[in-house]
Amino acid sequence: MGLLLITRFTLQEAIRRRLFLVIVVLTALLLVLFMLLFSAALQVDLRANSNVNPQLELLASGIILTLPTMWVVYLQCSIMTIFLTVGMISSEVEAGTFSVIVPKPLRRVEIVLGKWLGYALILSVYTALLFFCYTGIIYWKTGYWSTQALGALGMLELAVLALMGFTTLGSTLVPTMVNGAIVLILFVGAPISSTVSSVINLITTAQGVVPQQSDTLQNITTVVNLIMPPDALWHGAAYYLLPTAALDFLPTQGYSAGILDIPFISPQPISIPLLIWVAFYCVVLPVLAVWHFHYRDL
Amino acid sequence: MNGDLRECAVEVEGLTKIYDSLVAVDDISFAMYRGEAFGFLGPNGAGKSTVVKILTGLVAPTRGEVRVLGNPVSHLETRRRVGYLPELPTFHRWLRAKEFLDFHGRLYGLRGLLLEKRIKEVLAEVGLTGRENQKLGTFSKGMLQRIGLAQALLNRPDLVILDELVSGLDPVGVRDMRELLRHLKMEGMSIFLNSHQLADVEVICDRVAIINQGRILKVGAPAALFKGPTVLEVRVDQVNAELLHYLDSIALSVKRDECDPNSVLVEVQDEKEAAANVASVVHACGRSLYSLAPLRHSLEQLFLQIIDGSID
Repeated sequence: MGLLLITRFTLQEAIRRRLFLVIVVLTALLLVLFMLLFSAALQVDLRANSNVNPQLELLASGIILTLPTMWVVYLQCSIMTIFLTVGMISSEVEAGTFSVIVPKPLRRVEIVLGKWLGYALILSVYTALLFFCYTGIIYWKTGYWSTQALGALGMLELAVLALMGFTTLGSTLVPTMVNGAIVLILFVGAPISSTVSSVINLITTAQGVVPQQSDTLQNITTVVNLIMPPDALWHGAAYYLLPTAALDFLPTQGYSAGILDIPFISPQPISIPLLIWVAFYCVVLPVLAVWHFHYRDL
Repeated sequence: MNGDLRECAVEVEGLTKIYDSLVAVDDISFAMYRGEAFGFLGPNGAGKSTVVKILTGLVAPTRGEVRVLGNPVSHLETRRRVGYLPELPTFHRWLRAKEFLDFHGRLYGLRGLLLEKRIKEVLAEVGLTGRENQKLGTFSKGMLQRIGLAQALLNRPDLVILDELVSGLDPVGVRDMRELLRHLKMEGMSIFLNSHQLADVEVICDRVAIINQGRILKVGAPAALFKGPTVLEVRVDQVNAELLHYLDSIALSVKRDECDPNSVLVEVQDEKEAAANVASVVHACGRSLYSLAPLRHSLEQLFLQIIDGSID
């Protein structure tokens, strides 16, 4: 019962704070801006390629633009997650607002999980709304809708939950500012190894050499993905956003699917062991946060 | 614990709290009884707030045993019967007063009409009727203190723990809060008052513990705790050697008042008995007695004496 009260309070707090209003208004403005820019870009594209079937041209544009658009959605949701949850516990401790809540007849586990659940609901709904709004606009304007869109959404939701697991644990261990610095550096640092890996892949492919993964690079990428999995989950989402026909078509034309292994895109879905690790990560980190907060002096 | 058969509201035995290498509370023991107003006095950094935080479950003790209303601090049903007002009442500024009390009432397990009724009652008790819809962000420090006390009283607690209750209040607020605490005490509520406002302790508390440098120096009723020799100011028509000699024989010490040549300061142990003796001596020496009055040390002076004594 205490858990649901804290969850309700967290939701109420998120809605009542001006930050939330600003986010909603700015998100709506960005959507409108995206729609206008997208429409303008499509018209320019259609005029430039008037000799091509407009239906096919629109579909191709939809496929090409879906990935960067969804990458922005992933980035926006991740940054929102960091901003909203980086001080989930620590900001309350620092402000002293917990001093009247913790002595009440409720367990500390209810406080941490209640807040976690509140933010998880907010961010999951926000991610889903953003995903469907942007993919909806693309579908409306081009007719392209990935057949595995829900798989992509699942990956994005998992990325948000993984990031939240990290910030939740951090907010019970270190002050808000320190937690923010750690998570931001790791979040920005995580794509570096995958980007380097992709660039090497591109260069070797361009030189006509069969791409070979360096063991060191592979190991670094694996370790980084284990520590901060959202980037790997984005690549998983990107795979689901590509049309399956394109992935099947490439080998028939003599291309390896590896040519799609460029930053922001992945030619294969996320591996099952990594997916299990992420699920474990999403559960274990908040549990560790609960455990640490239980024994923490306030 | 101390042989007293009265039921304890708070029992502390061998309590120690060490932060890294800093000993905040050093092996203290005391008992507070049900229905009692118990003052916890000490200078800043004495360890008072650490003890309060341990009593409310905010901080875990390093060693020792603490029981609140007969149960460990972690016991949830016991927490339902305890109210707590922290020293710095920092609440969520975006909440309105009624929403704040509604949330805390629900944490206590109150619902529906009972909760509505209690919110109205506590707002009236702390003098905030009519402020239900005001945001806490617009409250003054004194008002925050009042709303903080309101949330501590929502559940009609058996024990209320107050950390520096009147620190943000104006004189009217201080008077109102003291009146309220006296009223709550009369209703049978146990009050644990952590303070360095000696006047509050003197007016409200039945017993006081004085703590300094993490150790309890004294526990007892305020009157007994601060009891010491009394100085009588004796004013006569003329002070002579004979009078000083006889006064010296019945007093702890006798001093001429440097400001008044017709006055003598006589230090005695028992004020009432000594006053009669002093009057007789003055009369026997053939002097006229103009006035005879005790010079009272302020509570602050006595408190400082105890604290200074512990440091020495």
